[in-house]
Amino acid sequence: MFLAWNEIRRNKLRFFLITGVLMLVAYLVFFLSGLATGLQTLNREAVDRWDADAIVLTDEADKSLAQSIMLREKEDNLKADQIAPIGQLNAIANNKDEKQNISLFAIESDSFIMPEVLEGKAFKNKFEVIASETLKSEGFTIGDRVKLSGSDDDLTIVGFIASARFNVAPVLYTDFDTFYSIKYGETSETNNTKLNGFIVQSNDVNAITTDSELEAIPIESFIEKLPGYSEQNMTLNFMIYFLLIISAVIVAIFLYVLTVQKINIFGVMKAQGISSAYLARSVVAQTFILAFVGVAIGLGLALLTGMFLPDAVPVTFDLPILLTYGAIFVIVAILGSLFSVRTIVKIDPLKAIGG
Amino acid sequence: MMTVLQLRNVSKSYNDGSKTIEALKPTNFEAERGKLIAIIGPSGSGKSTFLTIVGGLLSPTSGEVIINGRSLSRLNEKKRSKLRLEEIGFILQASNTVPFLKVKDQFKLMDRVKQKNMRANHLKQLMSDLGILKLKNKYPTDLSGGERQRLAIARALYTNPSVILADEPTASLDSERAFEVMELLQKETKNKNTTTIVVTHDTRLLDYFDHVYNMTDGVLTQER
Repeated sequence: MFLAWNEIRRNKLRFFLITGVLMLVAYLVFFLSGLATGLQTLNREAVDRWDADAIVLTDEADKSLAQSIMLREKEDNLKADQIAPIGQLNAIANNKDEKQNISLFAIESDSFIMPEVLEGKAFKNKFEVIASETLKSEGFTIGDRVKLSGSDDDLTIVGFIASARFNVAPVLYTDFDTFYSIKYGETSETNNTKLNGFIVQSNDVNAITTDSELEAIPIESFIEKLPGYSEQNMTLNFMIYFLLIISAVIVAIFLYVLTVQKINIFGVMKAQGISSAYLARSVVAQTFILAFVGVAIGLGLALLTGMFLPDAVPVTFDLPILLTYGAIFVIVAILGSLFSVRTIVKIDPLKAIGG
Repeated sequence: MMTVLQLRNVSKSYNDGSKTIEALKPTNFEAERGKLIAIIGPSGSGKSTFLTIVGGLLSPTSGEVIINGRSLSRLNEKKRSKLRLEEIGFILQASNTVPFLKVKDQFKLMDRVKQKNMRANHLKQLMSDLGILKLKNKYPTDLSGGERQRLAIARALYTNPSVILADEPTASLDSERAFEVMELLQKETKNKNTTTIVVTHDTRLLDYFDHVYNMTDGVLTQER
């Protein structure tokens, strides 16, 4: 630390520049990580709020809620602590002023996935719905009469629940009666036992059903299969991993150049009996200081940016994730510096003193 | 007087293509504490080879170097590095200071690396003896050639070495400064009871030495 710190103090400009570069890369890592978390939330928020262990869909639906259609009586083939039937459709909601893509869920108001109503009241009568509070900022209010695309019926928003989004669309919850009217119109009478699946709480996902037409899917794998979800994650994570590699390479190049410049100084120090290990530790300590300061400033800037971003930008900063990436960033930078350690070990003190 | 450095039949040869070049013919040499010894000779005569072998930076082809009873050739690089740290002080032609450390931090660095046998209590005295106390907050690049050389000597003395090896310590100095540096080396060698070996081709300085050796074509002969 002693050598490392004194060298930084003496050569402020060059270390300021490299810290600046690391800070920018770290900032980008944090921002992308925030974006990844934000986009994930957009996709899975509603599902996370169910606090469920699994979802039961038809086997042929291949884990897609919309493609899964089964009869209500399939519930008899399920064994679990809690079972909540669910119906789902996507539509455009129109309150005459605003149009908004929404996801309508049919649930039973006494099931475990029934959300807590934060404002207004729960749905009770036909055509009453409760809505994700994110719709408030889109210009929807309690009492609004909302028309859904593909249906002649009007829905009334009677309450708001905590933010819930499914596949980017804000969620409306209603009862099955309303759902059937919206979905099947005049033929609702003959379709009123059809639903999309069951949400389940159970410790043993494999034991939920033996019905070969049904598939019990752990909730995480269901989320992974949401359209676009894993693709999005993989893209953003790929960018983050790449940035981490880039930061390691930047550190490796920078410290290597510095080390090569100092070969004579290191050689003289080795001649005086200062061990390679001490010099190597000094380089690693230097990297730690640079990366740590860069990461800390980058993190601060990212959080600051987050405060000034408009709501439309889906950035959510999850501190534990950010700190993990920060730690990885520092470790990766130190790995980059190990490249120079090899050079230090190989320096021949004899050459340095001109023997 | 105690013998602190001993060379027994030490030689060094290089292979240059099909020829073998003997940089140092088999040499016997002894040095005692409190003695200032000069090795003079033209460049390329093997002076530096001699110095680097004694300093444990270069392994001899044959023979044995013994410092304070320990044989260098039996040690691995790590142990030799430690022995350099404990027993040997280098004063080099090119400055052996660390450019990004202030004068006082040059000593602090040695405190960090070597934890015992230091003169931390006497550092102030040492610095004032060598006339660098006023400079303690300066960087080496702000010092004159003479000041840098005095710093290098102080650095070498600070670790209480048994042997001080100086390679052309006066090369970059004018006569007056060169005499000053030699007087310092002479005084410190007596005071600290170390052995100081100076490689030089500056014959103006020979009066300062207790013994003078001449190196010609790899053969070391005592002149005085």
